[in-house]
Amino acid sequence: MAELHLTILDPSGLHARPAAQVVRTAGRFQSRITINVGGRTADVKSLIAVLGLTIRPGAQITLAADGPDDAAALAALIAELGAAVQPSSNGAEPS
Amino acid sequence: MVGLVLISHSSSIADGLRDMVAQVAGAEVLVATAGGTDDGRLGTSAPRITAAIRSTLDGGADGTVILLDLGSAALSLELALEEFDDDERARLRVSEAPLVEGAILAAVQASVGATLDEVAEAAASAASMQKMPKD
Repeated sequence: MAELHLTILDPSGLHARPAAQVVRTAGRFQSRITINVGGRTADVKSLIAVLGLTIRPGAQITLAADGPDDAAALAALIAELGAAVQPSSNGAEPS
Repeated sequence: MVGLVLISHSSSIADGLRDMVAQVAGAEVLVATAGGTDDGRLGTSAPRITAAIRSTLDGGADGTVILLDLGSAALSLELALEEFDDDERARLRVSEAPLVEGAILAAVQASVGATLDEVAEAAASAASMQKMPKD
């Protein structure tokens, strides 16, 4: 089990194209991967689920992966998101 | 990988949607279009639909999800489907999804190697897709 707490910097939030990139990256891994924002959780391997969260700029998100390649999956996702996110300050909980 | 066929009365819609799909889901997703009539008018054409479906099956698609706009597109598609035998039909899924949203959702699932049923399910989920934020 691995987790990342992130803040969305992209002024458009996690909109269609970056959301699709995240889903496609997640699809390369066996681990179950979820994204949580404001208490709502979605399967990162489903575009409709991710888009359904309507993740806005400034949102605090938690990416969680659980499985044989969970650490690698999160590393790939953070690389994919690049400048669209920054790590949240230590101990910050998603609100 | 599962392929997609996009059917519209307008070739501009079908071709533009293919561009959107390629940008969001990647250029490697197999997408064929059947937009407009043979003489360039608005409408649908069973032979064009048949050719589009055939190109995905012959192009190595594990199966094909077919999305269409409305009205007579369904009639043309029914005619086109008669050109395929039972084994080929088993590799085809006709989606009730709205064309644009269904194509994008289906293509993203196809791009990660989802099965035919999973891609069809992704397309179907477009019918209940949230667009504007709830809050």
